[in-house]
Amino acid sequence: MDTPVKSNNGATLPETAEQTLYEVRKKIYPRAVRGKFAAWRWTFVLLTQLVFYGAPWLSWNDRQAVLFDLVSRKFYIFGLVFWPQDIVYLTVLLIICAYSLFLFTAVAGRLWCGFACPQTVYTEVFMWIERRIEGDRPARMKLDRQPLSPRKFGLKAAKHGVWIALALWTGFTFVGYFTPIHVLWREVMTLHTGSWETFWVLFYGFATYGNAGWMREQVCKYMCPYARFQSVMFDPDTLIITYDPDRGEPRGSRGRSVDYKAKGLGDCVDCGICVQACPTGLDIRNGLQYECIGCAACIDGCNQVMDKMGYPQGLIRYSTEKAMQGHYSAERIVKRVFRPRVLVYTAILWLIIVVSAVTLYERVPLKVDVIRDRGNVMHGSDDPEVQNVYRLQIMNTQEVARDVRISVAGVDGIKLEAEAQPIRVPATSSRVVAVRVEAPRASLKDRSNRIHFTVEAADPSHPGTAPLTVVEKAALVIP
Amino acid sequence: MRLQKLIWVLWPSFIAAGAAEALFFTVFDPEELPFFGTIVGASRIATYSVGFFLFWAFAAFSSSLTCFFQRGSDEINRCPLPPTARPLGCPKRSDENASCR
Repeated sequence: MDTPVKSNNGATLPETAEQTLYEVRKKIYPRAVRGKFAAWRWTFVLLTQLVFYGAPWLSWNDRQAVLFDLVSRKFYIFGLVFWPQDIVYLTVLLIICAYSLFLFTAVAGRLWCGFACPQTVYTEVFMWIERRIEGDRPARMKLDRQPLSPRKFGLKAAKHGVWIALALWTGFTFVGYFTPIHVLWREVMTLHTGSWETFWVLFYGFATYGNAGWMREQVCKYMCPYARFQSVMFDPDTLIITYDPDRGEPRGSRGRSVDYKAKGLGDCVDCGICVQACPTGLDIRNGLQYECIGCAACIDGCNQVMDKMGYPQGLIRYSTEKAMQGHYSAERIVKRVFRPRVLVYTAILWLIIVVSAVTLYERVPLKVDVIRDRGNVMHGSDDPEVQNVYRLQIMNTQEVARDVRISVAGVDGIKLEAEAQPIRVPATSSRVVAVRVEAPRASLKDRSNRIHFTVEAADPSHPGTAPLTVVEKAALVIP
Repeated sequence: MRLQKLIWVLWPSFIAAGAAEALFFTVFDPEELPFFGTIVGASRIATYSVGFFLFWAFAAFSSSLTCFFQRGSDEINRCPLPPTARPLGCPKRSDENASCR
């Protein structure tokens, strides 16, 4: 080849650039920074992971507190039990998540991405491991340039070993949400895990290792749909991470004691720390870019430099488009947070939360489906009694056994025949009860007559409490 | 480029398969699902897993067709220039049958 290859944007590629998954990508070695936002991120890392790794080990009512039991098709979340029929609550949960995302994004951009997204959280943890083993940015870059040596091999093996161990633990925890984790743990210890469980532990572990160890910012840049449509949720009052060019420019290096203002320089010392700290490798001084995940590492990095130089902090800071143009005060920026868009989002979000919480609280933990047995008509057309057979599916969704009594009404002289009542329906289970309903032909006005079943379910362990009652309609049909 | 296309196909179909899986198996219980007139004998976990991969496969098929059909003519046609006439720096100067991309 006579001349170096040019990439799409015309930049000459360095020889070290590698063609990885999505584009010609230069490996990013994010520099570790300390500061307010790094502390917040670690707080969220610890909180979310405490919940994720810890929740499956908790117990409630002698069973796993949080268990999405796929085998018995029931989801347990502490005191709540969800059946497939409760899918509406899942839908509502998704709507609440979506609205929260809209709200947070409108207020302060990609808070989710920068602080709570699993991709960010695991990347942060994996990078922390990498730093402990290989050192910070310069040490890692140096190590990667070196030829393979026993030391390099040892460091890389240690890093990947710890990464894989953490990834497998993550995969195990993930599967522990769907199959009882104490049982799973015993199976793992005795190497007797089911084949599908093993497969999903490895699958999720591999995804964690790949995403947090190798893919990192590429997941945010190319795989995440949210990154692509975030801009529609922004407005000129949205707090975003902003470089203040009025204060920073013209940028340039200078000594600490130099009167840089006399030399016509701005506050930016052009040290490049903001670029080195960025996990997606962008230069925030070029303005808002879709690659920015709002992690605020550049703010922390820049503030460290400003402190060292003795300049005020906040050359890079959370600000809004309007605030930058109009030189708003901090109070005015905060005041603009309570703008109509945010207030409407908040109101709608709270409305959905309150309505769904009330319906969840009010729902009757007893469901009845009535199916008329069409084939089962035993009597002739001149018989004085009409008989219909029904199958009642009684679902006891709570974790207490119920004694059920079924009665029928709606037509004069109607009678019900069933197995001996009360019928015991065990905790969180459903039972099908066949009943025969008989009514005198003389009291039936039409071919199809509206009747209703009343199902009363008492709690035998608390005899004094009122039984749950469900009334279900059905049709009594003249054959 | 091949790897890139593989991800273009596999990733969106993975998301779609996840959504399809959740919806489908919320509504249909694998133990009551007829399979050519009989009930699928496998455990629920096995049915869920196989179901997921079936959804993924179908979605990936659709994604790969999208990828296949969106190729431009410069990707399909052979480069009109003979190899020696291609500009310096063209990575495909030695490939007689190369297309532009």
